[in-house]
Amino acid sequence: MSSDRALLEVRNLTVDYVGEHSIARAVNGIDFDIREGEAFGLAGESGCGKSTVAFALARLTRLPGLVSGGEVRLNGENVLKFDKARLKAYRWNEVSFVFQSAMNALNPVIPVAEQITDVIETHNPSLGADGARARAEELFELVGIPPSRLDDFSHQFSGGMRQRICIAIALALNPRLIIMDEPTTALDVVVQRDIIEQIVDLKAKLGFSVLFITHDLGLMIEFCDRIGIMYSGELVEVAPSEAILTNALHPYTRALGNSFPPLTGPRLRMEGIPGSPPDLRSLPQGCRFAPRCPHAMDICRVENPELRLYPEHRSQAACHLLN
Amino acid sequence: MLYILRRVAFYLAAFFVAVTLNFFIPRIMPGDPSARIIASFQGRLNEAQIEAIRASYGTTGSMWEQYLGYVGQVLRMDFGISTVQFPEPTSSLLFYGATWTLVLVGIAITFAFLIGTMMGIHAAWNRGGFFDSVFTPINVMLNAFTPAVVALLLFYAFSLQLQWFPLGRAHSTGLSPSLSFEFIGNVLYHATLPVLSILIVSFGGWHLGMRNVMINLLNEDFVILARAKGLSDRRVRYRYVARNAILPQITSLALSVGFLLGGALVTEQVFNYPGLGKFTVTAIESRDYSFIQAQLLLLTMSVLVANFLSDIANVVLDPRLRKG
Repeated sequence: MSSDRALLEVRNLTVDYVGEHSIARAVNGIDFDIREGEAFGLAGESGCGKSTVAFALARLTRLPGLVSGGEVRLNGENVLKFDKARLKAYRWNEVSFVFQSAMNALNPVIPVAEQITDVIETHNPSLGADGARARAEELFELVGIPPSRLDDFSHQFSGGMRQRICIAIALALNPRLIIMDEPTTALDVVVQRDIIEQIVDLKAKLGFSVLFITHDLGLMIEFCDRIGIMYSGELVEVAPSEAILTNALHPYTRALGNSFPPLTGPRLRMEGIPGSPPDLRSLPQGCRFAPRCPHAMDICRVENPELRLYPEHRSQAACHLLN
Repeated sequence: MLYILRRVAFYLAAFFVAVTLNFFIPRIMPGDPSARIIASFQGRLNEAQIEAIRASYGTTGSMWEQYLGYVGQVLRMDFGISTVQFPEPTSSLLFYGATWTLVLVGIAITFAFLIGTMMGIHAAWNRGGFFDSVFTPINVMLNAFTPAVVALLLFYAFSLQLQWFPLGRAHSTGLSPSLSFEFIGNVLYHATLPVLSILIVSFGGWHLGMRNVMINLLNEDFVILARAKGLSDRRVRYRYVARNAILPQITSLALSVGFLLGGALVTEQVFNYPGLGKFTVTAIESRDYSFIQAQLLLLTMSVLVANFLSDIANVVLDPRLRKG
């Protein structure tokens, strides 16, 4: 399903939040690729910068956020350098977005149909109002909602249906990448399952790539081909998803894996990760995870390890223990 | 539809409560207008004369009979004869004054709402920019002015000193009301300063209200989604943000109607404008009970009507209210 050709290459991406007296570096020079047709996951605790990355890729960062360095390359073009016209074409044609809470992602006072047709008409004016409407009906059928309900308003749909509508909107222009920022977090587990299965089907049918963001590691391992684990604004491990639970290289990844209870098997006492992530305005010297790491060595408190490839594991990790 | 019917029922009930209070409150107070007149004759009246005076003020019979009589009169829009502008019926005075107040307040509210709302949209969209940092504080300041001060300053500067505008009245005495350009122009010319004095103190409120609601909405997911969709700035600003932010503004608009009708009193007094407020002040000074009572009722009614209109507007504009 996924090829090895990179669709989006993120290099040294750095995002700051600028306060009046301080700067918080929310994303600190991260590198990763999203391959064509691949589902790439970003996981990590709240505040680790995963949504900030997603916003930066879609060029949605707004003050006080500031993309202060790095590149996001799409077929060799740097997305971060796009001018207004190129940006408009990039948005939704190439990258679309599904937000966490379907409750708030639809405008409550304008009909759902208009929220699909407006993006179609903006990007394909030649299609006309009728063409856009026909496409909207097609999209509704694609996500399993009767097209007769196009003229309803968002409050007339259930949570799961709203998220389907958001997916329909995201598919409107056949983008190559869909960024899904916790698309199922606000839904109950049964609906969650339906939605994920639907995304898997659509992905197989249409061949888009997905950047999937969640803190539900179990769901992510099931859905994604590769997973990047973020901690405090840095990528600490990038690995094939089957390796995340069984062959994690970074102690943080292992700790994160141990925080999720298995559904089957004996009852275990959950470990959790003692402590909390560092304040981005006053970071510890050396490895950012060192203060919470059970295996921390002297070098960990001095030097921040770099993300390195370990070919025998097909994984990348940033940890002194591996050297 | 059911919602509208429920609102209609509510406003009818509110109207009858208002009528009832309007009837009882003056009667709880000691004395009545006829007693005052009778007393002023210092016992030189006979029984029949006293009865005649009582009957003319509707203060004969039991409380219940008086109340039924009053409600009947209100429904027939008969508010009795004005004691001051005798023998003008109170209702015709009332409607004359109300017409001019409506011209004044209507123009002022419309412009204040449009100007303030547009400024609020612009300030919120470019939050922290030049326009926002200059006009938002200025409008906060203007909004804190009292209408009386602004009216007096305008009157002193432009009517008395510069003499660009007339000293009073709704139109020149030589002109009789008609739908000609000349008459309408003349009315607008006379209304300019009074309208301006209400406008200056009120558009800041619309600016602030719109700006605050807009800014809250800017962080909503559906607004971020609209931007991510690559829609034009214009479309996001008006269709996705202002469209939602206007709803509370419309409710405030209804609430401000009563306030403005009351507030026009000062403006009309300063500019000697023949509106409801001016008549009310005269009526209070000369204890024209029937006029005061009718005016209070009219004020209540206009607030109820304005609220009803805003309910309808909200149902039309907000699909979430349409069910049930």
